[in-house]
Amino acid sequence: MQRDWPDLLGGLTMAAIGAAAAGWALAHYDLGTLRQMGPGFFPTLLGVTLVGLGLIVALPALRRAGAAPKLELGVVLAVLGAILIFGFGLRPLGLAGATALSVLVATIPALKPGWRWRIALSVAVSVMTVVVFSFGLQMTLPVWPRLP
Amino acid sequence: MTTWEGLLFGLGFALQPEVLVYCLLGVVLGTFVGVLPGIGAMAAISLLLPITYYITPEAALIMLAGVYYGAQYGGAVASILLRLPGTPQSAVTTLDGYPMARDGRAGVALFTAMVTSFAGSVFGIVVLVMLAGWLSRAAVAFGSADYAAMMILGLVAASTIGTSRPAKGFAMVALGLLLGCVGTDVNSGVQRFTFGQTELLDGINLVALAMGLFGVAEVIANVRDPDRQKVTERLGLRSLMPMWDDLRRMFWPTLRGSALGSFFGALPGTGSTLSSFLSYSMERRIARQPERFGKGAIEGVAGPEAANNAAAITAFAPTLTLGIPGDPIMALMLGALVIHGVQPGPMMLEARPEMFWGLVASFGIGNLLLLILNLPLIGIWVAMLRIPFHLMYPAILVFICLGVLSVRGLTFDVVAVAGIGLAGYLLTLAKFSPALLLLGFVLGPLIETNLRRAFLISRGDPMVFLERPIAAGFVMAICALLVLSLWQAWRRRADDSA
Repeated sequence: MQRDWPDLLGGLTMAAIGAAAAGWALAHYDLGTLRQMGPGFFPTLLGVTLVGLGLIVALPALRRAGAAPKLELGVVLAVLGAILIFGFGLRPLGLAGATALSVLVATIPALKPGWRWRIALSVAVSVMTVVVFSFGLQMTLPVWPRLP
Repeated sequence: MTTWEGLLFGLGFALQPEVLVYCLLGVVLGTFVGVLPGIGAMAAISLLLPITYYITPEAALIMLAGVYYGAQYGGAVASILLRLPGTPQSAVTTLDGYPMARDGRAGVALFTAMVTSFAGSVFGIVVLVMLAGWLSRAAVAFGSADYAAMMILGLVAASTIGTSRPAKGFAMVALGLLLGCVGTDVNSGVQRFTFGQTELLDGINLVALAMGLFGVAEVIANVRDPDRQKVTERLGLRSLMPMWDDLRRMFWPTLRGSALGSFFGALPGTGSTLSSFLSYSMERRIARQPERFGKGAIEGVAGPEAANNAAAITAFAPTLTLGIPGDPIMALMLGALVIHGVQPGPMMLEARPEMFWGLVASFGIGNLLLLILNLPLIGIWVAMLRIPFHLMYPAILVFICLGVLSVRGLTFDVVAVAGIGLAGYLLTLAKFSPALLLLGFVLGPLIETNLRRAFLISRGDPMVFLERPIAAGFVMAICALLVLSLWQAWRRRADDSA
């Protein structure tokens, strides 16, 4: 059966987030009154609104065909991987190492074949970041990998 | 301070070498990202946010504003040469700009875009100066209820105007408002939605949110974009020269576009993208030969390009004098100021004249720089279109990480950028607007504070929103927008079933 999956899943996710936020706010924060609103008032109001809006988006999508967008899973994994490698790798690997590895991972999904340009790019970007951020802007970051 | 004194004072400020450098940096970078399809002003401004920590708030605002209006100039280049809008604001320019290029008149189309952009900006600056003085005097009468109602009007307008699915827009705004609640509640000191993470005590980091939503998500969406078309145009200065007939045809559309853009730019929730679309449809409607449109009519380039630049300038009026950003880009500007502890409002013209008048003067200087630099340098910008994306995006990712780290030095923020980037990509895939989420995020705390104060003053009586004339006006506008969008949805459904 044809369904508008992006709207259906998107709407349901919004509704779920709204319900969770409103529930959490009701359980943990004081609602107060209209005159003296507590910290829970605004989040609860928004959460309930979001549930309603999510359902308005999701329910009509049940009985409607929609275009299925293409999820580029490989790109997502490589890009997020590159960011996380940089974030967690900066201290053990140093700025040069973390940049080189992160650029290498980021180029995996690129359409252009070959590995020489990937290595060249990773070296070039490392040199550039070290020169600009470490020498130029004087950011206090370890540049080289930490020796054991 | 009179207007002339203010302008002179502003010129004195903006012409200081250090400020001038940031202005130049902003407009050049803006043109660059505007030229490149797939990277917009939002991403560029997000990427620059960390740098603004290290410079004065005035210089930061001047630089970020330069990126914004610089991108409007650059956006036309890819629209005309490749039929790919470099920025959403220049999407309409493809309609007649690209056919002009196919006719061998690419140079004239680019000249038209640059010159009308400049004219629109100058018009916008004049309107901004008049409007800002008037708004900051009017704002003295504004109470909490009026502010809250106006901000809600902005959110409603941004999610309903120019979209076929207002419910999705509203959902994004609501989600943004909710994310704005994260952190320590200013009124009670209660920590909301922090889940014991000390990193979240100050709320979600604006830099991480903006970079994730616009930097990372746009990179993911563009990595496997089929190879860009090759630009084959050779553009010398001579090819830019328009004929007398072109100049005659440009004149009135430019003026009408500037006026239209100045008006819609200053309204909450309607920005420069809408202005350029409205200008195009107006020019086509009043043209003597509407059949020329879509086949290379110079009026179809002149009007919209003037309109989007005028709107980009006047959008600063409500942002600076009321502290209310009308669109997501203004929300980022406001965010950048708040990072510096500057809260724009009615007192700003008096209390920080160098901020307002310096910015106004920098608009003039920056636009002049763009006009002088871009016409001779057009060949360089066209060459930029030949840089393959796969050589740029890995470096962009590293800059995003370093930019986020430079703010607080927390690995937590890098992880947050990755997560927010994923969310932003999924939202774009499902056609939910991340820009509206950001608008809600920035306005959230302001709306909550003003709502609470309004109800406290009125002793919990909601009639305060109808008894105060200003608030009542905004409430009526909100209702009108809601009724209009319901009616449009109903009519669409009737069309579908017919």
